[in-house]
Amino acid sequence: MSTVETAPQSASKEFHRLSFTGRAGEYFGIWIVNILLTIITLGIYSAWAKVRRNRYFYGNTVLLGRAFDYHAKGKQIFIGRLIVFGYLVVYNVLLAVFPIAGIVLAVVILFFFPWLIMRGLRFSARVTSYRNIRFDFVGKMGGAFVAFMAGPVIAVLSLGILMPLASRWMYRYIGNNLRYGGRPFATDPRLGYIYKTWLFSALIVILGLLVIGAVVIANLSLLMALADGTATVAPELQASLFLLGVVGYIAVFLSFGIAALFYRAGVRNIAWSATAFDGRHALRSDLPRMGYVWVAVSNVLVTIVTLGLMRPWAAVRMARYVNVHTAVRFDGDVGEIFASVAQEGSAVGAEFMDFEGFDFGF
Amino acid sequence: MPAHLVERQDRIVAVAGEGGDVLAEGAFATLDIAPRVGSIPRRIQFADGALFETTDNDAIDRLLRAQGRKRAGFVHDLERFHPRLLIFAAAVFLLSGLVYRFALPVLVEIAVAVTPPVVPKLMSAGTMETLDRSVLSKTDLDESRTAVIAEGFARIAAQSDRGAAGYTLNFRKGGLIGPNAFALPDGTLIVTDELVDLADGDTEMLVAILAHEIGHVELEHSLRQVYRAAGMAGLIMLIAGDVGDGVEDLLVQGGGLVALSYSRTAEAAADRYSVELMDKAGYDPLAIARFFEIVETKLGDTSGTTILSTHPGTPERRKAIAAYAAQLREDDTAN
Repeated sequence: MSTVETAPQSASKEFHRLSFTGRAGEYFGIWIVNILLTIITLGIYSAWAKVRRNRYFYGNTVLLGRAFDYHAKGKQIFIGRLIVFGYLVVYNVLLAVFPIAGIVLAVVILFFFPWLIMRGLRFSARVTSYRNIRFDFVGKMGGAFVAFMAGPVIAVLSLGILMPLASRWMYRYIGNNLRYGGRPFATDPRLGYIYKTWLFSALIVILGLLVIGAVVIANLSLLMALADGTATVAPELQASLFLLGVVGYIAVFLSFGIAALFYRAGVRNIAWSATAFDGRHALRSDLPRMGYVWVAVSNVLVTIVTLGLMRPWAAVRMARYVNVHTAVRFDGDVGEIFASVAQEGSAVGAEFMDFEGFDFGF
Repeated sequence: MPAHLVERQDRIVAVAGEGGDVLAEGAFATLDIAPRVGSIPRRIQFADGALFETTDNDAIDRLLRAQGRKRAGFVHDLERFHPRLLIFAAAVFLLSGLVYRFALPVLVEIAVAVTPPVVPKLMSAGTMETLDRSVLSKTDLDESRTAVIAEGFARIAAQSDRGAAGYTLNFRKGGLIGPNAFALPDGTLIVTDELVDLADGDTEMLVAILAHEIGHVELEHSLRQVYRAAGMAGLIMLIAGDVGDGVEDLLVQGGGLVALSYSRTAEAAADRYSVELMDKAGYDPLAIARFFEIVETKLGDTSGTTILSTHPGTPERRKAIAAYAAQLREDDTAN
C-alpha cells in the first residue's frame, strides 16, 4: 500500500523539457525500408511499417532521461484496417443494391465515424507508455461527435469564425479524457486566448486575399477584354496569364496554409499550457509561432524539391522542434510521483490491448 | 533501477546491479522482447509485468540468435545505414512508377464500377453550389437565345445513352472563367454567357461543344479524374506512411485542382463523341471544329501539344476530328 507522502516543496519546481534523440540518417533507413516493403506486399506491410515508425518516434521522445514507448502490434492495426475496409465494401454493395438504404446508412455513418475516432484515440493512448505505465483514454462517442464532427462543421459554416470554439471542444475532449496510470489529465483552454491567436491568423488570410485582389484589379482591363472576347491575346501573353493564375493559386494556398500553421501552434501552446496531470503537475507548450511556421514550410519545400527523399530529415527536425518546446513541471519529487502512480495505476499489460487497432482519428 | 540481464541454466534472470538480488526471471520463451528499431532502448518484458530496458541492442540480438531465432533483427539489418539504401531508394522510385502506370488505372476502374449513382449526384450538387457562390452569376442572355440553344441541346441529349432526362443545361455568367462550358458528373452542364457571345449566333457550334461535354459525362471522365487524384493522394499517403501535414494538404489541394482538368486522351475521346452525337442528331458532325477555328483566330492558340498542357493543341484536334468524321462516313457506307 502506498501512503500519501508530503512532497518536499523545493524538490522540483522547474519545467522539464522533452527532447528528441532520433537522427535523420537512422530514420531514413527505417523509412525507405517501410516504403519498399509496403509496395512489395501490396500495402499489407503498411500496418507493420506504422508500428516501426511510431516506435522510432516514441522511443526517441525522452523526458527526464526515459523514453516513451509504443506497443501496438502490426497485426492489430492490420485487423483494424480490414474491418474498416470491410465496412466500406458492405456499405457500397448495399448502396448499389438497395439505393433506399442510402439514407439509413448515412445515419449509421454518422454514428460510425465518432465511434471510430473514439476507438482510435483509445487505441493510440493504450499502446503508449512511459516508465512502463500506460496511458488510457476514456472519452465517449458523443464527445467525439461534438469534437470531431459538429466542431469542424460549424467552423466551416461560419467561414472559420467559430473555429476557436471547435478547437476548444477538441482539446477538451482529448485533454479531459486522457489518463496516465489511471490518473486524469484536465484541461480548459480559455476561449478568449484562442480568439486572440485566431485573430492573428485571420489577419494573415485577409492580407493574402487583399494582395490577390490587388493583382486582379491591376490586370482587370486585360481580363475584361478577354472575357468579352474582343481582345486577341498573343501566345506569350497567354503564358503570362497562365502564370498569373498559378501565382494566384499559390498565394491563396500559402496565406491559408501559413495562417493555419500559426493557428495550430498558437492553440497548441494555449491548450497544453492549460493542462494539468493529476490536478497538480502542469504541462506547458511554448512553440514560437514564427519558428514553427518556418520549420513546417521549409520542411515541405525541402521534401518536394528532393522528391520526398529528405522527408525523414524533415520529420526528425519537426519532432525535435516540437519536443524541446514541450515541458512538464512536477509538483513534488519525481521519483516518488512515478512510484505512487505505478503502484496504483495499471502497468503495461496485455489485458488492455484491443484485439483490433483503429489507428485513425489523429 | 540499474540491473543486469544474465542467463542461468534455462532461465533469463534480471539482477540488481552487478550480481545482486534477483528482480525478475523467466524462461526465454515467456519473455516478450521487442524488435529492434533504430537505437531506441530495447524492452524485455517478463511474464509478471517487470520490464528490463537496455540500449545494448547488440547483446540482445546475440541472445536471440543463441536461442535459435535466426531471423531476429532481419528488418533492422535492412534498415541500417548502408550504401544498400541507395539501391532501395532507386527501387522505390521504379516501383512507384509502376504503381502509377499500372495499379492506379486499375484501382480507378474498380472505383468507377462500384460507385453508386448517388455519389456523382452529391459531388455535382456540391460543386455547383460552390461555383454559383464563387465565380458564376445569373445569366444575362435573352430567353429567346437560350431557348434556341436548349432546343438543340435536347435534340442531341435524346441521342445519348442516358437520354434527355439524364441532362440539365444551365446558363450562367462566367465572370472570371470567361468563355467556357463544362459538365459535372451527374449530367449537369453549364455554359457561360461569354461562350454564347463568342459563338456569335452559331447555335450548331454551341450544340457541338455541349455534345463534347456530354461525352465527358457518358465516358465518366470527371469521376475518373476525381478518383485518379484521390487515388494518387491516397496511395502516396499509404505507401509513404507519413508525408507530413504540409505535403498532405498539398496533395489534397493539388488533387482538387487536377480533378478539374481532363487528360489529353479524355479530351480527344470527348471530341470524337461530339462528332458521333452530332452526326446521329442530324447536325454537321464537324461543327466542333469551327469552335477550334475561333479559338485559334480569336484567342491565338496555335500552339502544338506540349507535355505541360492538358489539352491537345487546337490545330491538332481539328485534324483529328476531320479524320474521325471521314472514318465514320466510310464505316456508314461500308455497312
